[in-house]
Amino acid sequence: MLRMSLLATLAFSLCQTVAQAQMSHHQHASEAACEEVELRCASKVTPAFASDGTLWLAWIAGSRISVASSKDQGRSFSTPVQVSKEKLNLDWGPDARPQIVVEKTGAIALAFSIFRDKAFNGQVLATRSIDGGHSFAELQPITSNNESQRFAALGLDTDGTVFAAWIDKRNRVPAREEGRKYEGAGVFFASSKDGGASYAEARLASDNTCECCRLGLAFAGPGRPVLVFRNLFESGVRDHAIMTFNDPTTPGEVRRVSNDDWQISACPHHGPSLSISSSGTYHVAWYTNGKARKGLFYARSDDEGRTFSNPLPLGRSDRNPTRPYVLTGPHGTTMVWKEFDGEKTTVNAMISHDEGKSWSKPSEIATTMDTSDHPLLINDGHTTYLSWMTKADGYRLLPIGDGS
Amino acid sequence: MKRALAAILFLLTSLAAAPAAEPPSGMKPFVRGSWQEMLRAHAGRPTLVHFWGVTCGPCKLELPLLGQFMKDHPELDVVMISADLVPNLPYAARGMLEKAGLGTAENWLFSDGFVERLRFEIDPAWQGEIPRTMLIAPDGKVTTIEGSAEMPDLEKWLLQQKVASR
Repeated sequence: MLRMSLLATLAFSLCQTVAQAQMSHHQHASEAACEEVELRCASKVTPAFASDGTLWLAWIAGSRISVASSKDQGRSFSTPVQVSKEKLNLDWGPDARPQIVVEKTGAIALAFSIFRDKAFNGQVLATRSIDGGHSFAELQPITSNNESQRFAALGLDTDGTVFAAWIDKRNRVPAREEGRKYEGAGVFFASSKDGGASYAEARLASDNTCECCRLGLAFAGPGRPVLVFRNLFESGVRDHAIMTFNDPTTPGEVRRVSNDDWQISACPHHGPSLSISSSGTYHVAWYTNGKARKGLFYARSDDEGRTFSNPLPLGRSDRNPTRPYVLTGPHGTTMVWKEFDGEKTTVNAMISHDEGKSWSKPSEIATTMDTSDHPLLINDGHTTYLSWMTKADGYRLLPIGDGS
Repeated sequence: MKRALAAILFLLTSLAAAPAAEPPSGMKPFVRGSWQEMLRAHAGRPTLVHFWGVTCGPCKLELPLLGQFMKDHPELDVVMISADLVPNLPYAARGMLEKAGLGTAENWLFSDGFVERLRFEIDPAWQGEIPRTMLIAPDGKVTTIEGSAEMPDLEKWLLQQKVASR
């Protein structure tokens, strides 16, 4: 009998080991630390500062979008609010993330994409809160067209208008009907005058762009949104383009950021970053694997994107630099990106005090040993912070020194 | 006692057979170390390794061509690796492979949330663009095709391997 109970114990402990192995395998297989809706389980986190300095976060965790705020630079958060009662089939593409803007009135506008069918056709959903993030309006499609949309970007204009742009495949329908070949997708846009509750009819900014990368969005001045996107140039070259709107409803000319000559029939899932300083300098950072250059690059423009400086390579090429992000602030321009040495991921930062003409030496500002979200930058009007979600170490908001 | 032992033994064997790592679709989980394991298993043989994903548009067009290529060239080892980010979708992946005539290929599925590390083991410079084809010669020499592969290029490469092995 003693022998049997020993065996039983053995069997039980083996059982536990297998259960643990399965659990750890499951956790290992996920890009999130856990399956619940809490911030620590998030795979993607997007920050926004309100004008009163409150930090707002929107994140993807447990198949939901949640929102919470912090009055102490991310040390503690309000009780998170989920924007939908039901679980959502959220877009898990590497460049997909919820978008959040907070208006001067305190109203919060959100947009994000879901997969609405088994063919991975997307839909961009929008909602807003007018009670300080306690509740959100019922989710609404950002456009009535039901073909496929992904990668929404939201920006707040000076008059409180919410400007939205996204990747939209509606133009493949007439092409198919007419037997024409249709490449890529269109960049569409729409504005909301009611803080993101409803959007005007969507319009085309540029057709036949790359269909699988995030957009960069900033403003050159009041009513002048600027988009940077991976375009499809002749012969399927997926290099970057920039467009400055004449006004919020009139798209401008498509101009080329750089001639990288990346001809590829594939999805890079690695979109650009754009920031515009108060003096009007455009700062763009991007990834390419073209014939002309490979890796991460930065360039600046003083003439609204008509011409750009020579691309400046970022990071150590032997450490797989990825996910560049650039942001201008009152104390200079900051750039971050990730590097990976096979075990450890590092966020590197550098700072410019002369509108990107010269940069400080890159310095490592954060590390993690497991998977992580893209590094993002955010400014509260005084300080620029790194906003970074990591699986092993949770969410971080780190002030970045001016490097001088 | 004997019965109890048998019951425990049964429990143990069924636990051992439990799918601790294998997704139910029958696709092999591609985790840390899988790349080297795969390379060792095919050492000395011409091997076509194709990275693809269910959400990748160009992949949908290329898969049936690769299915036909595999059928036409039984002398070639074909390894398909679904390299979508997790949550990877084993059933959707399996369905697409079957439809393209690639159900009998050696099929793997990225099953590690730390995709940067998986990709780094394969090629430190690869940032995850798919489709991607890596042609591995019997001597280990790797030829990488980024984006969709042209079937005549694959034919040419395979012919070179046959010539080299004569």
